[in-house]
Amino acid sequence: MAQPDPAPSADAIHLNAISKRYGRTLALDAVSFNVRDQELFALLGPNGAGKTTLLHILCTILRPDSGTALIDGIDVAKNPLEARQRLGIVFQEPSLDDRLTVRENLELHGLVYGVPRKLRRQRIEEMLALVELSDWASKPVRALSSGMKRRLEIARALIHDSRILLLDEPTVGLDAQTRDRIWAYLRRLRAERDITVLVTTHYIEEVEDCDRVCIIDSGKVLALDTPEALKRAHGQSLVRLTPTAEADLEAITARYQDRLTARKGNELTLVSDDAFITAFLAEFGTRITALKVEVPSLETVFLTLTGRELRDRAAGAREQTLAFGKRGGEHTR
Amino acid sequence: MNGGAMHWRRRLMVQLGGLYGLWLREVMRAFRDTGQLIGGVSRPILWVLILGIGLNPYFRGEVYGAVTFVVPFTYLQFIFPAVIALNIMFTSVQSAVSVIWDREFGFLREVLVSPLSRTTVLLAKVLGGTTVALLHGCLVLVLARFADIPITWADLPKALGLMALLAFALTSLGVVIANRIRSFQGFGIFSNAVILPLYFTSSSIFPLDPALSRAQTRVVYPDWLVTLVEWNPLTYAVDALRGALIHYNQFDPLLGIGIIVTACVVLFSVALIDFYRT
Repeated sequence: MAQPDPAPSADAIHLNAISKRYGRTLALDAVSFNVRDQELFALLGPNGAGKTTLLHILCTILRPDSGTALIDGIDVAKNPLEARQRLGIVFQEPSLDDRLTVRENLELHGLVYGVPRKLRRQRIEEMLALVELSDWASKPVRALSSGMKRRLEIARALIHDSRILLLDEPTVGLDAQTRDRIWAYLRRLRAERDITVLVTTHYIEEVEDCDRVCIIDSGKVLALDTPEALKRAHGQSLVRLTPTAEADLEAITARYQDRLTARKGNELTLVSDDAFITAFLAEFGTRITALKVEVPSLETVFLTLTGRELRDRAAGAREQTLAFGKRGGEHTR
Repeated sequence: MNGGAMHWRRRLMVQLGGLYGLWLREVMRAFRDTGQLIGGVSRPILWVLILGIGLNPYFRGEVYGAVTFVVPFTYLQFIFPAVIALNIMFTSVQSAVSVIWDREFGFLREVLVSPLSRTTVLLAKVLGGTTVALLHGCLVLVLARFADIPITWADLPKALGLMALLAFALTSLGVVIANRIRSFQGFGIFSNAVILPLYFTSSSIFPLDPALSRAQTRVVYPDWLVTLVEWNPLTYAVDALRGALIHYNQFDPLLGIGIIVTACVVLFSVALIDFYRT
């Protein structure tokens, strides 16, 4: 990692050697990075990587065991109330009052954050329009779908003068259409208002348009750069190919043992480069039925950095422990 | 407003605005909960109209022909202040259930990451519960004429003040219980296990004879019951309320006020310490 910034107040978020431990599991291991002002910054990692823990430390729900976190130059441990005034937060689980109406929830948020009445009214209408919920303003939150609730929470986080918006997995559990809409709102918002956005996600395709991506796994920062730079530095191109017969498959496997990354049925995935493709086609060109070249993507970056796929992993013991910790670690049931 | 410390007055305004917002939320939620309202109306009617009127004739002391003691009130008048206390008690403790709701359904998080201090958040919650409980107490007051209790303009503020303090103490108690018990079912059982015994042993539905000395009281009633009644703080609260409404005190009225205020301070402090710890 780079050295801590000498003038941290220039950054929207500044993290220096944050560590957090739940029992024997180290959820965050000396995490340091800066989020620049007005950046769209993504924190990418599998479930249990420590993303939510990090966000909870930033919004002062959790205290780090060591290290400092600054929001807009304010130390969150020393001055939590002022740090929170600058944050807009959307949690992974909904945190709305579902007995109140949409507008009442927003009103309450405005009151709690000390937004003057006139500005409050104006912001509520603006934000309802932004997330396309104006028609639902007087409906109780109970009546909303989960996608609408998420949109409402984004609107709520923007009622006060939040300079930094933290979103914890804003698109998880939503259908593809709603996910696209949420990203569209975020993009529109950044065009209209001076705001820094930090978003965590485990959907790789979503982070392609972010300014910078931080890949985190097992509580450690593995890489941090623009998506293009990450692909250049860590991406590999791959070929997926289907041999004609069993014998061909065996021959190819034996010949390119060191390049083989996956085998699914009779489809092989090999690490590729220009020279490899030429050589391969010369040798096996007649013995395959299909060949597909994949250019470097963040998916392959992640694979290279962590040695595993991002999705389709069941929650392991570690994730369960962390999820338990996130819920507050209470032994009640 | 970029960087630097906020002015203390601006900070105070934020806390007060938040206090108002969260208080308003508690009150609005309570009024949207029809179940709670029905309970608040039916409970006093049950106690005052059915139990009170039903037992009224037996309160003259002439049970089986032997006159034991006579208090200068009808039974209905006697239990009326206690029914107010009961209604406040149920509503206060029940409103603390929302502490569990908020935790379970995530709203607590929204508040914990807001610029409000935890003291403000808790105070808003307790004041909200207090307001609702006070209103439920007033529902009983409406029945005063059925119990032949003339309420003067001088008595009313005294009674309302005592009711508010009692509601504050009991809501804090509810929050303390809710912080220790984390499931809805557990809370229901526990709150009933606290409310009803507290109520029954608070000399609310039967009087300890004021004409008898301490030693004589212990002869008429079993020893353990007298002890329970004397140790129950609610006894003194109900007694103070009785003083305000029917001008009848078994104990020093200042003692009642003192005990309620102490309970407010102690229970709220305990709830606050719990809240900062979680």
